[in-house]
Amino acid sequence: MKLINRTFRLTTIWLLPVLIIGSIFVFFMIKYIVYEETDEYMTYEMERIVKYHGMNNDLPEFHQLDYIQEGVYHEKPFFKDTMMLEPADNEMVPHRELHFSIEHKGENFGLVIRHLLPGNDDIFQGSIIIILGLMLFIFMVLLLTINMVSKSIWKPFYQTLNILTGFKINTPIPTLPQTPIDEFETLNNTVSNLLKKVNDDYSRTREFNENASHELQTHLAMIRANTEKLINQSSEEGENSRVIANIHQASVQLSQVQKSLLLLSKIGNQEFNKHEIIDLSHHLKQTIDLFNEAFELRQIKLSHHIEECKLTMDPGLAEILTNNLIKNAIKHNIYNGFVRVELNSKHLLIENSGLPYEGEPNNLLERFAKGEKGNMGIGLAIVKQICELFNYSISYQISNKTTHSIQIIW
Amino acid sequence: MKLLIIEDNPQLLDAIAETLSKEKFVCETAATYSAAHEKIHLYQYDILVVDINLPDGSGLQIIREIKKVHPATGIIVVSARNSLDNKIEGLELGADDYITKPFDMAELVARVKSLIRRRNFGGNNFIELGKLRIDPEQRKVYANEKTIELTRSEYDILLFFSSNVGRVITRESLAEHIWGDNMDLADSFDFIYSHIKNLRKKITQNGLPDPIKAVYGVGYKFEIAEA
Repeated sequence: MKLINRTFRLTTIWLLPVLIIGSIFVFFMIKYIVYEETDEYMTYEMERIVKYHGMNNDLPEFHQLDYIQEGVYHEKPFFKDTMMLEPADNEMVPHRELHFSIEHKGENFGLVIRHLLPGNDDIFQGSIIIILGLMLFIFMVLLLTINMVSKSIWKPFYQTLNILTGFKINTPIPTLPQTPIDEFETLNNTVSNLLKKVNDDYSRTREFNENASHELQTHLAMIRANTEKLINQSSEEGENSRVIANIHQASVQLSQVQKSLLLLSKIGNQEFNKHEIIDLSHHLKQTIDLFNEAFELRQIKLSHHIEECKLTMDPGLAEILTNNLIKNAIKHNIYNGFVRVELNSKHLLIENSGLPYEGEPNNLLERFAKGEKGNMGIGLAIVKQICELFNYSISYQISNKTTHSIQIIW
Repeated sequence: MKLLIIEDNPQLLDAIAETLSKEKFVCETAATYSAAHEKIHLYQYDILVVDINLPDGSGLQIIREIKKVHPATGIIVVSARNSLDNKIEGLELGADDYITKPFDMAELVARVKSLIRRRNFGGNNFIELGKLRIDPEQRKVYANEKTIELTRSEYDILLFFSSNVGRVITRESLAEHIWGDNMDLADSFDFIYSHIKNLRKKITQNGLPDPIKAVYGVGYKFEIAEA
């Protein structure tokens, strides 16, 4: 939810109790004023009648008296609320009565002035209308002010947010806008420092990778060149040549591991940022073709159901993904085994026969996981890293202990 | 055939020069950008083996220069950086091949010979290995003028051997040559063993002696029988 909408919503919610309390207050206020005014009016009328009677010993021609009771004496005038039937509406409506008495020709008469009062429902209705009108007005004012104030106050925040969203690692750190608001100034400074650190760390890692790769690879090339030379110099079946061959083998494996680790860290560093729409079925078919002979040599039955699958990813990584998956399915397969490949726009499923494995299958996706035949290598870890980069979900399952299946859901 | 090898590590430079000299190439060396720069302007070379990372400049710049002075020179880029960018840039500048460190000398020799074959359009492009004849352009192999049907890997292995006759090729070199970065497929080497077995069978079936000698625990050696 947008910040400004959230502000509106919270502010509006707080208006609700104001509405309720305000209505009650207005209700009693109106009621009080109506009583006050009615009583004042009736008192005034009573005084006029008493005064006129005192002077003329008669009632005025026009008076508001409702009825006169003979022989009733009130020590003091008093007010009384009563309900009367209103014939027009056929409804009981509240009235206010003022009872007082005068002495006429030695006899006491009780006089009653009666006045219509607005009903509670009428007052309530009025209060609600008043409050609602007021609220509507307040709401509109709030809408305008929050809009204007928010826009100007949060402007630097939104600018920073915009710049951050567009920020790509290893590009120059953008200058964040100056702001007079302390909090935003702190935010901008903190963000700038963080970006600088992120960029520094990134280039340091990259530099380390490149240095490591350059230095290691040159020396590995040296070892390989020299062991090759020794192999060709030593007597062919001698013990030495096998020792040297072991060194050569280790250095070749080290080269491979080093390349894979470098690849992993490059994927992690998001150095593959060529995002194109590719059809994975194309890459998958190429991979199957590439390893075709390997299937035949191990007499592995391959069945596949490959449909078009458009994905947005780096084409190089797509190739590495399919190569590593198929390679894995062959490498850890058994003689006369099977591989089943299914690709469509929803998922990629690769099932293969293999040796029994008792452990947790998902562990096999970790780098250098320990398998039945020792080290499982790094190929699946690379696959996992690629999946993480593009937010694909990958799972490894083993059914019947020997059927391994890897599923990637796009 | 005159080669210039540009590589900043002196030991590796010596090793490359020594290996290629044994293949009857005339090898000159340069360990720095400035030395290489001077040599390409003074002399003419058929093939340049260039390391991208030089202490005083970039190998890519050398490629740009040679393309100006001797555009016919074949170029093999060597890089420690396993980065795709350098590869693409190198090939865009006109390099003919790209090899990443670390590599086996057998592989480099094969690449150099393959490049010479591709450059030498006019001449005889067949590779004669005793009574075996390889036609690299058609990817075909003949034994006593009869075609031998080889699978892709078998052909690649034979071609690799043809560039390294008489040298011991380790199983790792073979695996790396066939599968490149996917060589870990061949951890158990049963694939290599099967390919060699099939290749041998196909050659001997055509009445030729078995040219592939197993070197126990190490690898294989291709020898052309005298006769």
